[in-house]
Formats: sequence, C-alpha cells, structure tokens
Amino acid sequence: MIPAALAIARVKFVLELRRREVIFAMLLFIAATIVIVHFALSGDTGAGSRAAAGMLWAAVVFTAVLGLLRTFAAEQEEGALDALLLAPIDRAAIWIGAALAQFGFLVVVEVVAVPVWWVLFFQAGGPSIGTVVVALLLANVGIALVGTLAAALALGARTRDVLLPVLVLPLVIPIVLAGVTATYGAFGEEVGGFRPLGFLALYDLVFAALAWGTSEHLLGD
Amino acid sequence: MRSLGRLSTTIPLVLSTILIPLTVALAFWWTPEDFDQGLSQKIFYFHVPIALTSYVAFAFGAFSAAMYLWKRTEVWDLRSYVGVHSGTIWGTLVLLTGPIWAKASWGVWWNWGDRQINVFLILFLYYCAYFMLRFSLDEGERRRSASAVFALLGVGLIPLSFLAVRIAQTLIHPVVFTSDGAAMPNSFLLTFVVGFAGMLSLMVLLISTEMRGKRTAARVLQLQRVARGEDA
Repeated sequence: MIPAALAIARVKFVLELRRREVIFAMLLFIAATIVIVHFALSGDTGAGSRAAAGMLWAAVVFTAVLGLLRTFAAEQEEGALDALLLAPIDRAAIWIGAALAQFGFLVVVEVVAVPVWWVLFFQAGGPSIGTVVVALLLANVGIALVGTLAAALALGARTRDVLLPVLVLPLVIPIVLAGVTATYGAFGEEVGGFRPLGFLALYDLVFAALAWGTSEHLLGD
Repeated sequence: MRSLGRLSTTIPLVLSTILIPLTVALAFWWTPEDFDQGLSQKIFYFHVPIALTSYVAFAFGAFSAAMYLWKRTEVWDLRSYVGVHSGTIWGTLVLLTGPIWAKASWGVWWNWGDRQINVFLILFLYYCAYFMLRFSLDEGERRRSASAVFALLGVGLIPLSFLAVRIAQTLIHPVVFTSDGAAMPNSFLLTFVVGFAGMLSLMVLLISTEMRGKRTAARVLQLQRVARGEDA
C-alpha cells in the first residue's frame, strides 16, 4: 500500500511541476489573506503583536482549503479516478497519496510564506520560530488528512467547490485553536507550547485512525 | 413490528406530555429561587437538558452511521440522518437559550471563555455541513456512505474540540467559569433530572415520528411506481 500511495503522491507532484496550477495560486492567496487580515484588524497586528502571530493560522487554513479544491480534480477531469478505483490497490492508498501531496504543497507554500510573515511582522520579539515550525508541520498533517477526507466525500457532489470549505473549516477549528495556542505559548520568555503540540499530534492520530477505518467507504463504488 | 412502531411513539408522547409541564411546575413553584442568579437560573432546567439531549441525538446519529457502514441497510442511514437532523434542531435551541442565560447571569450575550458553548458551536457548525453534503449528493449508495462517514467523524471532533478549547483557555486567558462548584440542592437536582427525562422523551418522540414519516414516504413512492407499472 505504501508504494501505491507514494506513486500517487508522485503523480500529483509531477503534474503540479508541469501545470503549476495549485502552488502559485496558494502562494498568491496566502499573501492576499495576510494583507487582508492585517488591514481587517488594523491597529491590532502591529509588529510583534499576538494578533499578527495568530493571523498566520487563519491564512494557512484558508490557503489549504484553496489547495484542497484541486485534490482529485485532475483525476476526475481526465477520468483517471475510475481507473484508480479499479486498480488492485487498497482504497486507503489513494487517500494517503492525495494527503501526502497536499502535505507537500502546504510545506512548499509555508517555506515561502512564513519567512515573509516573520519579516513583515516580527524581526525581533516574535514567538520562538522552532515551536511555530513544529506546530505548522503537525497542523499540516492534520489539515491534509481531514481535508483529503472531506474532498473524497465531496467528490460526487453537485456543488463540490462550495461544499468543501464548509466541510473542512469546522473540522480544522481545533487545529487553529491549538496552533494559535502553541504560537502564543512560544512568545518571548514564555514557555508552555508543549501541550498544544501534543494536542496537534493527538488530533493527527485520531483522524488518521478514523479516516483509515472508513477509507473503504470513501471514494464510492 | 407494527405495534412496536406505534409503542415507540406512544410511550414517549405520554412521557413528554407529563414530564415537560411537570418540569415547568417544579421549576417555578417548587425549587427555591437561586440565591445568586435569582429567577434567571430557572432556564437551567431547560437549557442544560436540551443541550444534553442534542448530544444524545448526535450520538444516536453517529452510532447509526457506524451501524450503516457495518450492516449496509438503508434504515440505519435514515436513522443516522434523523438523529443528526433532530440534534441540529435542538442545537439551534441550545444556541438560542444559551445566550439568554448568559446575558442574564454574566451580562453578556456570548462568552468566548465558556468551554461548553464554544465546543457546542464547533459541533453545530460541523453538523450543519452534514446537510449540505447529504443534499448535494444524488440519492443512492454513494450518498449514504458519504453521509455516514461524515456523521461518524463528529465522534472524533467532540472530544478533540473540548481538549483544544481547554488547552487554549489555560494559556490564552484564565479560566473564569469553572465547573459548578457548589453542590446543587436536592430539589434543583430532581427538577433537572425530570427536565432531562422530559426532553429525552420528546426527542425520542420526534425521532420515531420522523422515522415513520420517512418510511411512509418511501413506501408511497414505491407504491406509486408499482401503480405506474414501472416495477413490482
């Protein structure tokens, strides 16, 4: 199953390298979101503020949803999904492969966006960057897991693009809560970011288990 | 089977007709007025039982979803839908009665520091999305399994939300309202239990009535098809 999942993830990366339709859009989107949140909270997101730290999480979650809209899109448009479903591989492999690709896209976007966010808002006196990076990595796993799961559920829906954000956002509220808490906990001298990091790991495990258990029902027959 | 179906509506009908007015009577004429909150505390006998009952309905929906994925019989899909449906209706009541109580006792309509109501809000948003998912899929096997998987995931979301809200509270702002603290007098507790039993029987009544309605509708459709000679 692992080789199949890796192969599916690789296909998605190759496609992305050739077509460049998701990651660039995500990058522009996260930049615009950060600017919008900054102006929306005008005054509260000055350099070094906690609101500036929290807004990264809002931006990441919305950007992830944008990326998720294209999961399975290529397969569906080119009719490859039926072939994948007929292939003698575990259903879970399709979902894990898509989640891996989604995780990778998020990491690429964050590698660019987080330094920019840091330079724009902190320079000095921000949260410890190590904690933020670990929290983001754990959160990416969770977002990719539940996001791909929701994308698979919404696959046959008439209003798929409208539906997906509505399905994903309530599911990732706990991730945002824990991510923001970890970020706040890592400000300056304060310590105590470990419990939210542990929570993020727990979230990943719980939803990985739930998704695994239900994966044979996910993509339809 | 048919008599059992009738009993499943008659018993809760009788129980809720007795218990809910009884709760009103006990709450207003028997329990003493709360020393701290005064008259506004009476909403406790309605708000909290409604909230607990809607959790029960969501749990029933999730349990039925798991049963559907296991047994693959349509009736479990219907039960799961009806459970989530009733839970959401009652959830709306929770989100309406909660702010009334909050305004009366804390002076604000909404308190972001309160754990229960925030978790409930997340859960409510989540299960509202269930209907969007369900009704944008065409009727059939695909819709039934997708709805079941989604209903089931809520079981993971509830404890995780509780945990996340608690962790966030300890770090971001101090916990202002801890759990009840003072023990309830017996009259409070008894009224609360009567209220909870009343709400539960009303919920059972609603669920079994909706189930009967759905089954009748399905049967009518089937008979119409037979009458048109489409299939037997």
